[in-house]
Amino acid sequence: MTFGSRALPSLDRGGRALTAFPAGGVLRLAFALAAVAVVWEASVVLFGIKPHSLPRLSSIFQAMLATPRAYIDGFLRTLTETLIGFATGGAFGILIGIAFFRLRTLREMIFPVFVVSQTIPVIAFGALVVLWFGNTLVAKAVIAFYLTFFPVTVNTLLGLESVDPRQAALLRSFGASSRQLLLRLQLPTALPQIFVALRLASSLSLVGAIVGEWFGDTTGLGVLLLQAMYNENFVAIWAALLVSALLGTGFYAVVAVVERRLVFWGAEQ
Amino acid sequence: MSVLAGRPSSLAMQRGVVGGVLLVLLWEGVARSLALPSYVLPAVSDIFVSIWSTRALLVEAAAYTLCEAVSGYLLGCAIGIGLAVAITMLPVTRGFMLPAATAVNSVPVVAYSPLILLWFGIGIASKIVMVAMAVSFTVFLSTLAGLDRVDRRSVDLMRSFGAGRFSILWRLRLPTALPLMLAGMRVSTVRGILVAIVTEMLGAYDGLGWVIYQAVLKIDFIQVWSAIFVASAASLLFFGLLGVVERRTLFWK
Repeated sequence: MTFGSRALPSLDRGGRALTAFPAGGVLRLAFALAAVAVVWEASVVLFGIKPHSLPRLSSIFQAMLATPRAYIDGFLRTLTETLIGFATGGAFGILIGIAFFRLRTLREMIFPVFVVSQTIPVIAFGALVVLWFGNTLVAKAVIAFYLTFFPVTVNTLLGLESVDPRQAALLRSFGASSRQLLLRLQLPTALPQIFVALRLASSLSLVGAIVGEWFGDTTGLGVLLLQAMYNENFVAIWAALLVSALLGTGFYAVVAVVERRLVFWGAEQ
Repeated sequence: MSVLAGRPSSLAMQRGVVGGVLLVLLWEGVARSLALPSYVLPAVSDIFVSIWSTRALLVEAAAYTLCEAVSGYLLGCAIGIGLAVAITMLPVTRGFMLPAATAVNSVPVVAYSPLILLWFGIGIASKIVMVAMAVSFTVFLSTLAGLDRVDRRSVDLMRSFGAGRFSILWRLRLPTALPLMLAGMRVSTVRGILVAIVTEMLGAYDGLGWVIYQAVLKIDFIQVWSAIFVASAASLLFFGLLGVVERRTLFWK
């Protein structure tokens, strides 16, 4: 256990705090959001906080409504990049995890290289990726992919390794092929662990997409952030931040819901 | 779990080294034999030559970045551990603090960097703040998870012997939390350097991110690769350092 694995269950707790609202909880969430909005607006007005520190929430919404296209386009664009990176990174991570599990030599040869590759600041790498793939959607998705696959690989491997060898031996004694063994026993056992990584990967892929856009692009949330910074437009920065938060939280929540459906027996954390 | 933990066997280590060497050879071979232009993939040997010839610049930039990353890292760890301890000592604050921390963290941390750069300027302060933000949340969550892991019966036992809140915290909760806390801190090292470099690319006077950005503008891709190698080495160093600290501190494991 070197990289994410052990800290991941703890990330889980924060996530649960956000998404573990039971059926009636949606109302409570809406109420909490409304309360935050009121406190925000009121404290800015009451204490005379300058827009430099914190603009009024209403002026942020006004800015969004003034140019809704920019925010909607940016949202969709960044969402697409994030989803492509997440899907490919997740699939690649699971496949490599299985390959590493099956082929010990391969794992021992390549795993250290993977670990080292993760210490490369991906952002530095981003400059090269944009150069290789051009200033396209693919380049951003590749960066998101790069950030995503590693935690998924590690946790898939950990999950597969945690299979009780006696269960495997039992299935084998009934004549299960190794494919059946994988699909019926090993992958289901690893699934909770894999989802812990997928939840982490959901936010990492968004980071990759946003940072990728900083290397030059015309649409996307990262572009909106950067433009707002160059114009020193604090209202626009906050608007882009809120939209990013919406995207990040929404995506995370979707992954968490899928997890609850698929891993219905519950992670043993 | 043993695959990724502890000391790998000597055979595994050998294979790891072989894997690394093979990769370098493959890279060198591909770049040389296809005579790839340096903006596609420069040969490894060229990169090392470039690192050596620009070593003064790179070492200075790496020191600058490491200085930012370590300061921000220490600050972030202090905030994260402090918050987790505060919540444990005052359980009332939990219902408020946990959702608040999660809400702040729902925005990917790099998205804050434009705002932080405008607030704190493009000097060293903005990078320290960014790294602290990136590190504190992970450390906070893992410390909290560790502190929560304490067995109720142990707490009751200590209390029955007349131990106060602080001595329970110091003698029981913190030692129990230590493994998870340190794991969180170790994971955060690489993240801290990464965030420092990202923020430098958006605006800085010095540092590896700045070097990379300048090299991109000058279309000097060997320089980009050199800076990437140095950044990677710095991350590994920092990560390894925390690993050593962890092994020393958790001597009972």
